[in-house]
Amino acid sequence: MMDKQVIKANPGQWLKLYGDMLYQYALPRVNNTLIAEDLVQETFLSALKGLEGYKGQSSEKNWIFSILKNKIIDHYRKKASGPAITTMPDLQLAAEDWFNDEGRWAGDKAPRDWHEAENPAERKEIQKIINWCKDHLKTVQQHVFILKYMEDLGADEICKVLNISSSNYWVLIHRARLQMRDCVEKYWLKT
Amino acid sequence: MKGLMMKYLMINCREATMLMAKKEERQVSFFDKMKLSLHISLCSLCKRFEKQTLKIAKESRQVQADEKMSVYGKEKIERIIDDFSS
Repeated sequence: MMDKQVIKANPGQWLKLYGDMLYQYALPRVNNTLIAEDLVQETFLSALKGLEGYKGQSSEKNWIFSILKNKIIDHYRKKASGPAITTMPDLQLAAEDWFNDEGRWAGDKAPRDWHEAENPAERKEIQKIINWCKDHLKTVQQHVFILKYMEDLGADEICKVLNISSSNYWVLIHRARLQMRDCVEKYWLKT
Repeated sequence: MKGLMMKYLMINCREATMLMAKKEERQVSFFDKMKLSLHISLCSLCKRFEKQTLKIAKESRQVQADEKMSVYGKEKIERIIDDFSS
């Protein structure tokens, strides 16, 4: 009788167990405290509604997190389907400032040597810098960066979510990578 | 012949950094991969770029806020869960 462990979800404990955890995950991914709170709220609501479908196939925590991750993607999908946020950047000129006419690194943009960030405190520091730099990317680039590197989506899926062509995607991600590396370097070498 | 081959395989840093983004998605052809490896073996700046962007990718997934949810936000959620459960 006891061999089959029945995992039961326990909504009464959710807020205490996962509330802050979900919020701390959502906030850097949507950059807005109210939106982050809303997403956590919607996550719990969807989880409550889906309670019957949850049979303990993954841990309760993973199950709830997967709901939040879907909410984050939906948030960007809605944003992209609304009125155009910005005009697309001039894609032809996208990476021009980084390289000279021969396509080599322009003098002041060339990557410098970093000291490694390996221990937990240093990693936390570099994560903070990444978050700050991400906040300073331009709109579409920022969305692409978040979905690619913070949410780990593939290029094809990101194109669908953000409703952009794949050639636009490559230019945006290329530029976001150049910009992020440059920004992280500036602040990381200061520490 | 060898010279021609090299000329075909040579890419610049702009192209190399773009191919790195494509490599991450496994969307590079065999020849592009060769071009990229050749470039990286010759260009210490691009080699550095690759290492640093991989580090950024790795750490980005772990980014979390320090601050907690507002009391107001928590109360709102508590009410929703209570309403639903009763």
